[in-house]
Amino acid sequence: MKRQLIQLAVALALIAAILAGLEVGVRSGFLKAYQFPPASRIARGFVEITTTGFPTGISIWSHTLTTIVRILEGYIGALVLAIPLGLLIGAVGVLDKMTAPIVVFCRSIATLSLLPLVIVWFGAGELTKAVLIGYGCFWTMLSNVIAGVKYVDPVLVRAGRSFGLSGTELYRTVVFPAALPRIFAGARMALGVGFMVIVGAEMIGTIEGLGALIMEARSFYRSEITIIGMLVIGVLGFVISSGLAAAERIMLPWSTDLEGIRR
Amino acid sequence: MGARETTAADDAATGPAERAPARAAAPIIEISHVSKTFEARHGDGLEVLRDIDLVIGEKEFVSLVGRSGCGKTTLLNIIAGLEAASSGEVRISGRPVRGPGQGQGVVFQQHALFPWLTALDNVAFGARNQNLDKAGKRDRARELLRLVGLEDAAAKYPRELSGGMQQRVAIARALALDPEILLMDEPFGALDEMTRLELQQELLRIWAVRRKTVVFVTHSIEEALVLSDRVVLLAAHPGRVSRDLAVTLARPRSRTDPRFAALHEEIWEGLSS
Amino acid sequence: MTSRRRDDVLLGLAGVAIAVGTWELSARTGLIDPRVFPGPVMAIATAAERLSPGTIADNMGWSLYRVFSGFVLGTLAGTAIGVAAGWYRWFGLLARPLIELLRPIPPLAWIPLAIIWFGLGEPSKFFIIFLGAFFPVVTAAYHGISTVDPMLIRAAQTYGLKGVPLLVRVAIPAASPDLATGIRIAWGLSFGVLVAAELIAADRGLGAMIMRERNTGGSVGIIIVGILLIGLLNLLTDAAIAAAIRRWVGRWRGA
Repeated sequence: MKRQLIQLAVALALIAAILAGLEVGVRSGFLKAYQFPPASRIARGFVEITTTGFPTGISIWSHTLTTIVRILEGYIGALVLAIPLGLLIGAVGVLDKMTAPIVVFCRSIATLSLLPLVIVWFGAGELTKAVLIGYGCFWTMLSNVIAGVKYVDPVLVRAGRSFGLSGTELYRTVVFPAALPRIFAGARMALGVGFMVIVGAEMIGTIEGLGALIMEARSFYRSEITIIGMLVIGVLGFVISSGLAAAERIMLPWSTDLEGIRR
Repeated sequence: MGARETTAADDAATGPAERAPARAAAPIIEISHVSKTFEARHGDGLEVLRDIDLVIGEKEFVSLVGRSGCGKTTLLNIIAGLEAASSGEVRISGRPVRGPGQGQGVVFQQHALFPWLTALDNVAFGARNQNLDKAGKRDRARELLRLVGLEDAAAKYPRELSGGMQQRVAIARALALDPEILLMDEPFGALDEMTRLELQQELLRIWAVRRKTVVFVTHSIEEALVLSDRVVLLAAHPGRVSRDLAVTLARPRSRTDPRFAALHEEIWEGLSS
Repeated sequence: MTSRRRDDVLLGLAGVAIAVGTWELSARTGLIDPRVFPGPVMAIATAAERLSPGTIADNMGWSLYRVFSGFVLGTLAGTAIGVAAGWYRWFGLLARPLIELLRPIPPLAWIPLAIIWFGLGEPSKFFIIFLGAFFPVVTAAYHGISTVDPMLIRAAQTYGLKGVPLLVRVAIPAASPDLATGIRIAWGLSFGVLVAAELIAADRGLGAMIMRERNTGGSVGIIIVGILLIGLLNLLTDAAIAAAIRRWVGRWRGA
């Protein structure tokens, strides 16, 4: 407890020092306010963006909401497709072996590299963004669901069999619950991917959303708004990932080693 | 020599456990008035050791025996210089212990081998202060692996070795330091029974060749009796010396020897009371 | 065992063949419009006709050069700072809050600021790729160092090791599996960031090549081939890094 307090104090002092340093640096003319907006300017920018909005009429809240809705569209779509498919592929060995190279390759394709193609197909509108986010989330989710089912501890399966379970019943009562921690881990990773993709996708062909906001602010030399936008993106990312971690603890209280799952 | 005064004194005249004889060998470890209290976050600290006085002679094989919580591992760590006493002092060859690396080799319960080094390199790591070049260290390591019967496993990584083999490598690594004192913290505690018996004999053989002073922590009375010249019993809460018995039976010792059984009985009672 | 391995490979090839075959057939039968989604044969044919191997090599070279320079420096900086933060308490107190504050910001969100600071040229791209590699590595290095088995540290201390030699010879090797995981994640992220950076602002590189094709209303086939090339490059380099990691830590750790 004492250590945490010290850490918090150091952190606050450090941030205060950096902000003060910027303020002094800019006022003394040593740093350009355009490149390193001081705290006072960021504060004014924050007021502007919460009231009149930037560009005028679009407040930070509506940018944030737009981004969240876009992520969720793609993300939920990906989950709805990937979970049943992964549960099937992971359970059927032949299917898994046949699809493995395809899954690996599609996962290797950098999601944003699809942008030019998806624009040709669906235009520069909302659907393009949903498809891109969906693509990134889908393969991450799929490979985790498959792995979750495939690598269920064989001891558990043997234990299930010893109670006379087999077939779909074994799958439903043993394999599926045992795969859940990995599925959750996949869901969390997928959301991270979606978050990463949206920022890039919003930088092209739109003025709404946090990615568009920071890019737009830059072209109007409003770097303080860019920085506010980045911080909101960071906070959003943090809230989302800790929210999912909390949901996981509530829904899977028995699960222990989720941090250990990486891939 | 306050530590020699023990409650075993009354039995000494008749029993196989004699009052520890006057020290023939020169003292090498002198523990005087060592106490240890762990600071607690709330309320009083936890008193683990209270006023330990103990003198261990050169080339002696001494076991520290006690229930869990008697502070035997803490005492060993203080001798090793890995933990500091709250009060009191430990001297090795007359020099106060200020930290590890003063001639104390340590063998831990979990082998604590470096998983990224081969058996040979682990042992060679132990020879790092020997003023040897790389080849010299490796030669020395190879020789020690031979001593513990593992020359064939030199190129293997710890995870490729069985528990018993890992602990042999750990012993060889500690010996590579060429320590005056070997401190062993329940080194065979995590091994299966067969391997444990085997390693006990192995340790005695090595001890016969390389005459080191050994301080051996164990919770097994039998293990202490098979191995040591002297068994020091620690009582718990707080840890303190309750008995100090010399074991004069000739080695190899037979567990079926009635004198062995009598000693076992006596220590058992000492621990139970 | 080997025959089972062969069966696995054959099944995998069969899967790929079915997928590619379906794609080609759909294009030929007109199920999908070949003008916006050409089949594989047509896509490759167009690309082969319009792109010289020299052009592809040149763009690929630029992409690889960018991603490598950012990745290598990001990894080095991440390792140094993460290790120091895990080992020296005072440094950890200073560095951790900043790292934790900036870590949730995806590397791509730095693009505008990078342009403000460094302009539209190469330094901007280098900067965001650097960040893409830096954060996974710094986190992994910190985690690895601060969770080294205390028993190993104690064991090393009994041989008189302390200070920097203790860090270099014991703590860093003990943390290397964590570090390796971080480095692999960093590579994937650097690569994703590279493509985005090239799409948004670049005139050379594979990302720029496909974006130009779309902006000039060129051939979809070339875009598709470009995407596949980027994927292949990512797959191969990732496999190379995974193999290097296996040689580095898999040997003693078992993998």
